[in-house]
Order: sequence, then structure tokens, then C-alpha cells
Amino acid sequence: MARDLSFLFPELMLASTVVLMLVAEMLRAPRLALAFGLIGLGLSTALTLPLLEADTTVFGGTYRVDLLSGWAKLILLPGTALALLMTWAEIAGKDREGSVYTLLCLVTLGAVMLAGGGDMMLLVLGVVLTGLGSFAMVAWPRDDAATETAMKYLVFGAVTGSVMIYGLTFWFGGAGSTLFSELGALQDKPLIALAGLVAVLIGLGYKAALVPFQFWAPDAYDGAPVSVAAFLSVITKVAAIFAFAQVLRDLPVATGWPFVVALIAAVTMTFGYLAALVQTNVVRLLAYSSVAQAGYFMLGIVALGTSPLALPSVIVFGAAYVAMNLGAFAVIVIAGRNLDDFKGFGRARPLIGVAMVVFLLSLTGIPPLFGFVGKVLLFGAAIEAGYLWLAVIGILNSVLALAVYLRIVVPMYQARDGEAVRAEVALPLLVVLGATALVTALMGLFAGVFPG
Amino acid sequence: MPLLSISVFLPLLGGVLLMVLPNKSARIAHGVSIATTGLTFVVTLAIWARGTLPDGFAQIEEIAWIPAIGAAYRVGVDGLSLPLILLTSLLFFLSAIYAARITDRPAVFVALMLMLETASIGTFAALDALLFYVFFEVSLVGMYFMIVGWGYEERQRAGLMFFIYTLLGSLPLLLAIIGLFLATGSFDMRLWIETPPLTGLAAMLALIAMLFTFAVKIPSFPVHTWLPAAHVQAPTVGSVILAGVMLKFGTYGLVRFALQMTPDAFAQAGQVVLAFGVFSALYGAFVALAQSDLKKMIAYTSVNHMGYVVIGVAVAALTLDPDLRAVALNGATLQMVSHGIVTGALFFLVGMLQSRAHEREMTAFGGLLGQVPWLGWAFVLSAFASLGLPGLAHFPAEFQIFLATLNAQPWAIVAIIAIVVTAGLYLRAIAAVFLGEPNEKWAAMPDLDRGEMQAVVPLLILIILIGVAPSWLLGMIDATMRALQF
Repeated sequence: MARDLSFLFPELMLASTVVLMLVAEMLRAPRLALAFGLIGLGLSTALTLPLLEADTTVFGGTYRVDLLSGWAKLILLPGTALALLMTWAEIAGKDREGSVYTLLCLVTLGAVMLAGGGDMMLLVLGVVLTGLGSFAMVAWPRDDAATETAMKYLVFGAVTGSVMIYGLTFWFGGAGSTLFSELGALQDKPLIALAGLVAVLIGLGYKAALVPFQFWAPDAYDGAPVSVAAFLSVITKVAAIFAFAQVLRDLPVATGWPFVVALIAAVTMTFGYLAALVQTNVVRLLAYSSVAQAGYFMLGIVALGTSPLALPSVIVFGAAYVAMNLGAFAVIVIAGRNLDDFKGFGRARPLIGVAMVVFLLSLTGIPPLFGFVGKVLLFGAAIEAGYLWLAVIGILNSVLALAVYLRIVVPMYQARDGEAVRAEVALPLLVVLGATALVTALMGLFAGVFPG
Repeated sequence: MPLLSISVFLPLLGGVLLMVLPNKSARIAHGVSIATTGLTFVVTLAIWARGTLPDGFAQIEEIAWIPAIGAAYRVGVDGLSLPLILLTSLLFFLSAIYAARITDRPAVFVALMLMLETASIGTFAALDALLFYVFFEVSLVGMYFMIVGWGYEERQRAGLMFFIYTLLGSLPLLLAIIGLFLATGSFDMRLWIETPPLTGLAAMLALIAMLFTFAVKIPSFPVHTWLPAAHVQAPTVGSVILAGVMLKFGTYGLVRFALQMTPDAFAQAGQVVLAFGVFSALYGAFVALAQSDLKKMIAYTSVNHMGYVVIGVAVAALTLDPDLRAVALNGATLQMVSHGIVTGALFFLVGMLQSRAHEREMTAFGGLLGQVPWLGWAFVLSAFASLGLPGLAHFPAEFQIFLATLNAQPWAIVAIIAIVVTAGLYLRAIAAVFLGEPNEKWAAMPDLDRGEMQAVVPLLILIILIGVAPSWLLGMIDATMRALQF
């Protein structure tokens, strides 16, 4: 027991942080809650470092402390800290702001559990924990739009969650255990494996916004505060991807699951960018772009079990995606939600304009930015696993991606019609922008620090 | 001293320095620009002085990058890349001098141009495929912003077309690179050249992917359509860099990647490549003949000249005689350098004409030779060079290409018709613009000023120097081409 708990210091730290934040919010001290959150996330990240080399399980194999869950914490916790700063800059002074900070950290706890889950029950717990907090955050503005999208999000989440639990019972029945490590028993039971796979694809696919479970994403992102949208598009999505990796790497390849996932990846990438091409609201545009990015993640998932590049590719692209997508959303907080708001933005604010260009080019996958390194690894993993056609589709979609992102870049350098209004940018936002821009621009050059 | 790395990153450093300077006036910006590009040119001359090795790469510099996948920062030069690096640093230096008249956001323009120089020199110097791809793509981004930010009327459309076209074009290369990587576990280009890792169908697929990428960049028929649009809309410096330097990425890659890394597949597909080269040369010439816009005309002659390079490389792949191979590849490599210098000069001159008259239609001019003798004679000299007159830069290159073609693949000699056509179109252009009745409208047109002279005269000197005595350049090229493994 003591041994098991010693491997869970980061999670325990985060859990106690959430409790403290809740108390602070009850005392009507949102700043205190925020401070607790930032400190807790920082400590939790620091506690993860010594565990990075560990490769073990705790509590009878239900929770994994391995490369993936270690890196997940290193990516998700600082990412949440940045999202906290963004949220602070956006909603400071509003009623019940402390609740959003607390919920952010609570959802992150669920996200970390998803990324470390080694058992079906833990998977369900992670999905529910991330879900409940997210619904509340989307509904936070308490206006009609937010309430409507939160309801949609909740109903959709409840249905997909139930279907997932139902499907998981097939796996339990077939394998005789709720542990993922026992899924090898499904080797010669392809139908049962397929039934459970479909269920997992629905449950986690909804979280990761894979096609065809992406309907909620643009609405929810648009209804919520921009920083909450940024958080949802980054933290819960990456957590769901990591959960996919934890589940599917134990499912025998012979059951044919990679092909199913590959089909979904292809459709997700293409649909995401096609839909993004026609948006005029930048939040919705980025929502669809992050649908497409989820498709790219699946290139790495497809290769699990066949290519040694699979796990590193998902981790590296996960880190890159968190940085560049958070950064892009931070610019939206400054510029505004409409494509027209970006007209002349690059001329009015040259530095932030350059940062936005860096984020968008990195999302496209232009070297030497961080996103490029991630994409090369993803393509490499998919090709090594024998999915050359999928890599080709991914590459063709990169061109579509360029068209999508240039729709933001091009107006940024056109002359503005009216006089540019230059409001001060809050310091926390500058911190977020600086950190994400540095990581996006330079980590590609230092990608050697990542596992491979 | 790691001279090669210095030459790659010095321009970038200058650009960053400019960005952090508090005073970004046009004077300071262009001062930094000329100083940086000038210094870079000197450094490349020093690299030249150090020399190349008769076989393999020289002056190699290597630092680990992503050890897990065998990617590293590796640079080096041989007789193929060094002439192109010299060409690049010279053209950027002259462009920086000419660009000193730009007053619209000069600091950003200069920073972009310097970034482009880093990307261009890096592309030629890289010995790691991933690094090559990085530089290759960064150049695209820089050129896109240059066209969109400082181009002419239709710049948005032309820029977008250029970016999407060439990005779509370069992604197959990434697939081929990943394929070669998976076969070897390393991105070291030297390894891939020494023992080509792919065979059979895999090699053919990789070759097709690479040919597609480089054909877009060269540009070869039928994927050349972005070129006239991009050239016509790009600012003068953009056109010079695009034609002088960036088109060479395609021909350089054709030799370095397609020919050296998948040699057997290239030999099998040689006739097809040759046919595309011949058709491009003819097509470029005839379409150029149909243009009345000077800039567009020169853009299409690029399709024609780069077609000769493709012919040279294809002939080298198809023949087994080592002497003939060397002659064909020498011609192809020299043609890359000559085209950079001659077309660079032509785009400078047309840009100077356009900045005076705001007009590119040939018929709008007439009798300018008396009015602006320096501009006129410089154009005449460059045009004669471009049509392949003996004693000028293109002649020794094209002569060697046709010599090898006639010996190895006689049918392809039909491409020589294109020379007659280019002669016709240049004589027509000279007659329309510089000879005949002087047009009253341009009576007040000033001749070249000092900055313009400084940009053009070095190129004119080189045109004659390469034409009369090409051996100083050919010696280095020939040593490498004779030892080229494929």
C-alpha cells in the first residue's frame, strides 16, 4: 500500500490541491484558489520528474505508472497551469470565477487518470470525472447559448458514456478481467473484441472529438469562455488520446482494430479541415481544426504494437499540440472571435502576430516548428505499421490545413479599415503566449529530450 | 572554424539582431542587411578557398539533434553544392544592395530576406534529409510572405497559389524521406548515397515521389503553372531569389536525391524523365514566345532553361559511359549556376525598368537604348547570354548538355529547336523595348543609378567570365561529378 501510494504523489498532490481550491472558493477567495491551483500544479509536475523512469503498475495493475502516464503528467499539468492563467486573464472579476479554476484542476485530475488507466473501471472513472467538470465549465457563463451547448454536451456525453460502459462489458466477459493487460485473451474472439472496440471508440472518440462524435465540439467551444474552449480542446483531448494508447496497446493486433482506427483517422482529418474551411468564427475554425488534429494523433495510435515510433510520436505530438493550440486560443482571447477581428491584427501587434503565425504554421506542420517533428514521427509510425495510404491522406490533408490556417494569417497582414484599437494585454496572457510560442518555435530543435 | 555553419546561420543572426534593435529605420535595416549578406558572401568565399574533396563531402560539421531517430545537424559541401552556395550568397548580397530602396516596412522585409538566405544556403549544405526538408520548407514560408507583403496587384492570389502548390509538391518528398529512413534507421544522406537503401518497387515509388516534388520546384511541365503567377507578382528581389536560387532546389534535389539515392530506378525511368525535360524546354520556349509581358516572358524562359538541366541529368542516368556522364552532369550543374546569374540579372533589369515606368508590356516601350544606355546594354548582354550565345554564361553549359545528349540519346537533341525560339523571342523583345522609334512618354527616364549598377554589374562580369573561361568553376564541378556514385 505504502509502495503504491509513493508512486501516486503527483495525483495525490493534485487531488488535495483541488480540495483546497474548493475551500478557497467557498470562502469567496478566487485569487487564493488560483494561487493554490498554480502552486499545486507546479508541485505536482515537480513530483512527476523522479517517477519518469518508472515502469510499473499500482493497485493490482489497475493504474499504470509508465512512460506514457509520466509524460502525460509532464504535458498536461503545465498545460493546465497555462490554461489557468489564460482563464484568469479572461474572466477575472466575474462572479464565481473561482469555480472555473477549481473545475479546471478537477478535470485535469480526471485527465491524468485517463492517461494512466490500466483498467476498464478506471477508464470509466476518468471519462466521468473529465466529463462532469467540463459540462459545468461550459455552462459557466449562464447565458442561453452556454446553457444550450452545455445541455447538448451533457446529453451527448451521457449517451456515449453509457454506450462505452455497455460495450466494455463485452470485453470483461470475453477476457474475464477488467484489466487491459488481460485483453490478450481476446486474440481469437474478434467479434467480442470488435464490440468492445466500437464502445471505446464511441466513449473516448467523443472525448477526443473524432468523427463522427465531433458534433458537440464547435458548439461547446463557442458557447464557453475562450480559455475554457482552449482547455477542452487541449487537455481533455490529449488525455483521451493517451487513454486510447493505454487501452489499445494491449488489444491484439490480429483482431483487426488498427484498420478500423485508421479509417476513423482518415475521415476525421479530412472532415475536420473541410469543415474548418468554411467557418467565419475563429473559435469554431479552431474547433474543427482540433478535430482534424485528433485524426493526426490516431496515426500514432494505429501503429501501437507494430512500430516502436508509435508511443514517442503520440507523446511528442501531444506536447506540441498542447503548446500550439493553447497559444492560438490565447491570441483569440486578445484579438476576438470573428475572422474580421483579425484584419490588420498582425500590423497592429507585430509580436503577437508573429506568435500567431508560428502557432498556425506549426499546426500545419511546417518545419522546423514543434508540430512538424511530431507529425514526422506520426507519419513514420504509420508507414512502419504498413499504413502508407493513411500517411498519404495525412500529407494531403496538410495542404488543406495550410489553406485553413492561411485564412487567419492572410487578413492579419491586410490593412485595417478603421482605426486599430490597442487595448493593454494582461500580463498572464503574455506569459502564456511567451511560453507557448517559445515551446512551439524551439522545442523542435531540442526534440532529443523526448523519449524515442 | 565551422565556416559552413557560420554561413548558414549568420544571415538569421543578422535578422534576429535587427528585430531586437530599438531603431528599425530603413537606413539601419538596409545597413544590417548589406553588412550581413556581404559578410556571408565573404565566408562562402573562404569555404571555396578551403576547397572540396575529389570524392564525397568536405568540411563536414555534425551535431546530434534527435538521436532517437538518427537525425542530426549535418552539413558539408561537394562540387555540386558549393557552386550553388556561392551563387546563393552572391545573389542575396546583390539583392540586399538593390533592396536598399525599399521603404515599406524595411525591417520586416530584410528579416524575411535574411531568413530566406539561411534557408537557401542550408538547403544546399544539409547532409541530413530531415534538416534538408526543414530548410526546404522554411524557404517556402519566407517567399510566401515576401510575395504577399511586397508584391504587385494580384499578390494575394499568386502567393497563395505558390504556397499551396509548392507545399503539396514538397510533401511527397517527406514520404520518400520517411521511406528511406525506415529502411536505414538514420537520416544521414551520406549513408543513403553510399548504399542506396531501397530496391525494386519501393525505390520506384520513392523516386516518383521525389520527382514530383522536384518537378514542381524546377518547375517542369506540367506542374509549372505557379511560376509565372508568382514571378510576375513578386517584388523584384523576390523574383531574383526565386529564379536565381529557389528553382535550383529542384534541380539540386534531382541530382542529390533522385539520382544518387535511387539510381537504379532513375535509370529505368530515365526515358520518361528525359521526355519531360525535352518537352519542358520546348514548351517553355514557345510559351515565352507568346508573352508580351517582359517579366512573364523571362519566367517562362526559366522553364526552358531548367528543362535543359533535366535533360542533362536524365542523359547522365541513361548512359553507362563515365566520361559522357561527367560531361552531362557538368553541363547540368554549370547550367544551374549560369541560369542563376543570367536570369538574376534579367529580373533585376526588368524590375528596374518597371520601377521607372510601372509598366511591363513590351509594346509600351521603344527606342530606350538611346535614353537609358546602361540599362539597355546590360539587358542586351543578359538576353544574349540567356539565348546561349557563345562566349557568354549559358553556352558552355548548354554545349556540354547537348554534346552528351547527342552521343547518348540522339532523339532528345530536338530540344535544340528551343534555342532558336529563345533567340527569336529575345531579339523581338530587344527590338520592341530598346530599338526602334523612341516613345515620347519615357523621355525623362533616368539611367541606372549607383545602387542599381552595383547590383547588376557584378553579374554582367560573371556572365562574360563564365562564358569565356568556365574552367575555374568547371574544375571543381568536374572532380565531383566524375566520382559521383550512382
